[in-house]
Amino acid sequence: MADINGSMSANKFDLPVDSEHKAKTLKILSFKQPHMRSFHLAWISFFTCFISTFAAAPLVPIIRDNLNLTRSDIGNAGVASVSGSIASRLIMGVICDLIAPRYGCAFLNLLTAPVVFSVAFISSAQGYIAVRFMIGFSLATFVSCQYWTSVMFTSSIIGTVNGVAGGWGDMGGGVTQLLMPFLFHMITTYGGATPFTAWRIAFFIPGWLHIIIGVMVLALGQDFPDGNLGALQKSGDVAKDKFSKVLKHAVTNYRTWVFFLLYGFSMGVELCINNVIAEYFYDRFNLKLHTAGIIAATFGMANFAARPLGGYASDVASRKFGMRGRLWVLWIVQTLGGVFCIWLGRANSLSVAIASMILFSIGAQAACGATYGIIPFVSRRSLGLISGLTGAGGNFGGGLTQLIFFSTTRFSTASGLTYMGAMAVACTIPVAVVHFPQWGSMFLPPSKKGGGCTEESYYSSEWNEEERMKGLHHGSVKFAENSRSERGSRHEIAAAVTPPGYNSTPAHVV
Amino acid sequence: MAIQYRFLLASVFVSCLVATCYGGVSFKTLQTTLAVTATHKEGVLKAGLDNITVTWALDPSAPAGADASYKTIKVKLCYAPVSQVDRGWRKTKDDLTKDKTCSHKIVAKPYIAGGAVATATWTVQRDVPTAKYFVRAYAHDAADVELAYGQTTSVDKKTNLFDIEAVTGRHVSLDIASICFSAFSVVSLFGFFFLERRKTRIAEAK
Repeated sequence: MADINGSMSANKFDLPVDSEHKAKTLKILSFKQPHMRSFHLAWISFFTCFISTFAAAPLVPIIRDNLNLTRSDIGNAGVASVSGSIASRLIMGVICDLIAPRYGCAFLNLLTAPVVFSVAFISSAQGYIAVRFMIGFSLATFVSCQYWTSVMFTSSIIGTVNGVAGGWGDMGGGVTQLLMPFLFHMITTYGGATPFTAWRIAFFIPGWLHIIIGVMVLALGQDFPDGNLGALQKSGDVAKDKFSKVLKHAVTNYRTWVFFLLYGFSMGVELCINNVIAEYFYDRFNLKLHTAGIIAATFGMANFAARPLGGYASDVASRKFGMRGRLWVLWIVQTLGGVFCIWLGRANSLSVAIASMILFSIGAQAACGATYGIIPFVSRRSLGLISGLTGAGGNFGGGLTQLIFFSTTRFSTASGLTYMGAMAVACTIPVAVVHFPQWGSMFLPPSKKGGGCTEESYYSSEWNEEERMKGLHHGSVKFAENSRSERGSRHEIAAAVTPPGYNSTPAHVV
Repeated sequence: MAIQYRFLLASVFVSCLVATCYGGVSFKTLQTTLAVTATHKEGVLKAGLDNITVTWALDPSAPAGADASYKTIKVKLCYAPVSQVDRGWRKTKDDLTKDKTCSHKIVAKPYIAGGAVATATWTVQRDVPTAKYFVRAYAHDAADVELAYGQTTSVDKKTNLFDIEAVTGRHVSLDIASICFSAFSVVSLFGFFFLERRKTRIAEAK
């Protein structure tokens, strides 16, 4: 654990770091403090929450008979499971900006465990919907996970790091499709329990996972490279910010809302599929519960490689083309994802359905990774809240698509998939309007007004004169320096010097 | 990556050609040559506890020789239309391989020619959901293809229906375990929080 004084000069790091002490490389097999240990705790806690949020999905064929559910009940429960975290992701964003990721993450895991255990008590459709809604709150660990990695790792690799952490966490949605039917099978065959009791017992395993990871985050985790938040604030290294300011700079930045919409059709679509795909294969192709679970799992498991691939592609594109490359990568993979979703809905044979589902999963998940390769650059002051808002947009999109396309008997699930894919393609077009004055957008180069805009001017504009006089913006200026990599290789050479007026060395450091 | 993509597309194309669609027997083509009855106690039947006694025999009014190929009789528990509303997984379809009306097997017995009435008693299984039901018996030939059927209700499936109530699946031991683990979780969280606060305060006081 970091020592209480938290003095910057005394810390030694296992990995090479930049001026903010963020790691410049990702060493996957290491668990050393602070960077890699935080990385592993972050993604595992998020993974656990994905497991329990979608744990009901592969067991729906059993649960629907136990609780006498109708199609609308099942659809509503699916919507509920992803809507709860619309609010909780926002709150977690604020908590990360104001308090720090470690407690937010542990708090959520340890309070979700009782809700998961409460499935023992469910006896009606309303109870089922309510429990799935409350378990869904835990998806806010996504925000703490991405925030935690964003403060531990530097900008040039942030796409890859966020992609790996996010992807491995999202994988929980796939693992659960295998885990829960497997547990159910074990409990009925070797435990001798009847089906309507066995599914409840199966839920205890995700419950225990929440407790284990929650305790580990508290005991082993650290908020920032230099220590925990409480200690850093006391030594003056991290400024305390105000909620109203953080909120204002998140909400008034139009890019926040574009990504809110966009993420709804990459992550939102993925969340929706996690809820419907096992039942879809079970009912449409007459498969066994076990088999449908395996197929559904491959969708979520593709996250292991697909989301990091999206983040990595974003980083690679940014090396040559800067931020513009990142935006193009996002548009391409997300549109492809939508196209393959359309194909999945139209597939009439099992093998075509599986093939199109795999391609669709790669597209949608790579898009999620590519999105979070861009989010850390939208704002430095309100990083947590914008991460939270984008994440909330994902859930909002997921709930919306589940409600529109999969809660009605008016058209079949297959048609629902096709329409959802078409909507995803259409709603990806707005990425073309995202413009960074210092880096450009998909179709426009960087702004030329006032002799050119710099990274410093963009990030410092989030602080007013008074705050700058107090030196509160130094963290943002340091970040701006490190973010120059987003200019791409053609403009990098001219960018080495910090412009006058932006002294990044804080006054009190000797 | 390009080669793998091409291989994937090629195998997908080939499997499209390979996929066959066998239609099943159409329900409308089946003859109603079996007379089926089901007796049980009055009121709602409880899964896991109550019994249903089913009988089946060749209907006396069936044409002679109709039962020549009957080899097996499969008796099933079927959902009444009111229990199929808004539940697509119980939908009635004419193609018997896709029909989900009768998803619970009661008994399967070899067919004994001669017109005698066969009986079987069945305890309602614990995985039967709460719904309204009737009983139907299918006559299968040696290749397990449906040839004829009989049911306890009318053609529109509105008469002579009975209710079954499912087990809840809940247990007191499960409830207690749930409460214990939940309490442990909450206590760990606040325990850690207060312990850390105390540590920071002690370090500050030094």
